[in-house]
Amino acid sequence: MKILLIEDEPELRKSIKLYLHQEGYLVESASDFLQASEKTAEYQYDCILLDITLPKGNGLDILKQLKAQHSKAGIIIISAKNSLEDKITGLDLGADDYLPKPFDLAELNSRIKAVIRRKSFDGDKSIVINEITITPDARSVKVNNDLVSLTAKEFDLLLFFITNKNRVVSKNTIAEHLWGDDSDQMDSHDFIYVHLRNLRKKLAEKGCVDYVHSIYGIGYNFKTN
Amino acid sequence: MMRLISKTIFYYFIISIPLLLLAALFSYYHIGNTLADETDESILKESIQAEKLIVDIDNDQIIYLNYDSLSFIIPGVNERHPLSYSDTSIFDTQEKEVVNYRVYKNTIKKNDKNYLIVIQKSTLDKEDLQESLFLVFALIICFLVAAFFIVNWVLSKTLWKPFYKTLFKLNTFDIKNSNNINFDLSTTYEFNQLNVELNKMVEKLQVDFLQQKEFTENASHEMQTPLAIIKTNVSALMQSNSLNLLEVSQLQSIENTIKKLSSLNKALLLLTKIENNQFKENKVINVNDIIFNSLEQQADFIKLKNITIHYDSEPDLLVNMNPMLVDVLISNLIRNAIRHNFENGDIYISFSENTLIISNSGELITINQEEMFLRFKKNDSSKDSLGLGLSIVKSILDVYNFTISYSYMNSMHTFSIKF
Repeated sequence: MKILLIEDEPELRKSIKLYLHQEGYLVESASDFLQASEKTAEYQYDCILLDITLPKGNGLDILKQLKAQHSKAGIIIISAKNSLEDKITGLDLGADDYLPKPFDLAELNSRIKAVIRRKSFDGDKSIVINEITITPDARSVKVNNDLVSLTAKEFDLLLFFITNKNRVVSKNTIAEHLWGDDSDQMDSHDFIYVHLRNLRKKLAEKGCVDYVHSIYGIGYNFKTN
Repeated sequence: MMRLISKTIFYYFIISIPLLLLAALFSYYHIGNTLADETDESILKESIQAEKLIVDIDNDQIIYLNYDSLSFIIPGVNERHPLSYSDTSIFDTQEKEVVNYRVYKNTIKKNDKNYLIVIQKSTLDKEDLQESLFLVFALIICFLVAAFFIVNWVLSKTLWKPFYKTLFKLNTFDIKNSNNINFDLSTTYEFNQLNVELNKMVEKLQVDFLQQKEFTENASHEMQTPLAIIKTNVSALMQSNSLNLLEVSQLQSIENTIKKLSSLNKALLLLTKIENNQFKENKVINVNDIIFNSLEQQADFIKLKNITIHYDSEPDLLVNMNPMLVDVLISNLIRNAIRHNFENGDIYISFSENTLIISNSGELITINQEEMFLRFKKNDSSKDSLGLGLSIVKSILDVYNFTISYSYMNSMHTFSIKF
């Protein structure tokens, strides 16, 4: 999987690149409009992470170029401008997703995977982790080929864990993923625990190993190895 | 509070009263003296006439000089009486009042015979003079008062018109809806100066306000990228297997702070955008639908706190607003009602005419009603809250000139929004 990261801020570029590399992606980066324009014209990518405010040009113009080239790449706008208008403009121009800064890398990862999944028409769209088979499009989960009935939040939680397996994800990140802006609402993270407890119970009933490890003070790690 | 013109005229009026009193006193003495002089003069003339009469007298009979028997000549007096003027009062039996008289006495010697000439002339009554003077001056004061009101009215209508016009413009001036306000030039020097300076000031104010707005927006944007860098680094650090408990809690604290800063940024940005009128497209929206969606979105938190919702969704409330702003408005109010609620508390939502009423059970708060909608004002007990939710609500309502009121009774916080 090849990803192009278009981001002018060197520190952010470095950490995103490192993270995606650890996730097993092939990552290239561009730091300004011209570089980005060159790379998108010459190479094919599975996913492009696009910052809108770039030196020497506007990221939305890159988006227009990509659409003119009928690029098959999934495009995620990562922008410091968290505004509805920008989001709507970006999505209208053909971006697949819009992630406002500051975002968590686990969230970015889950968005990248979702975009790539949507873009790939060939092959099995299910993710198999040992005895668990999860099909995001159908929103179904099977354990040992046995269907598990999960609530929407439980399903989202499981998919988020699987997308970020073998990584520590903090409770804040999970809260933001599941409840978005409303995650500010909670004074405690008890509500994650409520959903997690139900999820664990339902998976265990079907004979699933408990992969979710609590990391004291931080969050959880879905360990598969 | 008095108008300047009224005050000015009032002071003139106040000063004119002692002046008028002085004038009255002066008039009183002056007129009195003049009249007395006049009397003496006419007495003198009469005495000359009387002296001429003496020539023809040869008997010792008293000669009366006029009908009232007050002026007469007594012939053949022994004592000589030098020329004298004196005042006397005589009770008039007919008029039944004391009348003042000027008395002239003189002895003339003619043909070795002394003649005493007595001329008595009634003089002006001092009380009469006082009375008429009082009347005159009272009239003058009445005229002054009338003039005071008329001049006041006329001047404030004409002379002060430009000033009141300026005042009205200042009164209605709102920097947020800065339609180009312009203070017209006036032909009065002071007002002209005032308007010129006001024009300059307003222009400066508008420029500053714009810059401040832009600054808030830019600062919020610029802060997001550094926050993103910190956040990605923190989450990279969290992957380490060798963290001890202290390091874990420090990382957690950093993460929480980033989250708070980022929410703060988002809220400030939203506030700025609302105040900059960046949400323009309006639509007719059923508030009921929005409330229903919002309750569904927050269902997890309502359930977690075990809050009971009492929702009376009749009748439909239609508003013409920007869809996103309605969303933010309602979800902020409902979030507020959940956040500041008790465990096992209640939320009541109902409508009456154009009013939406949201009440929730909760503890008495320490901030007062005026401060409640100000930025960063929050109850002491809600440390996790940013203190921006209600100011966002208020600024959205301000855009549409809708109003919100708050009351606390029987452990219930009630917000009424009038659309």
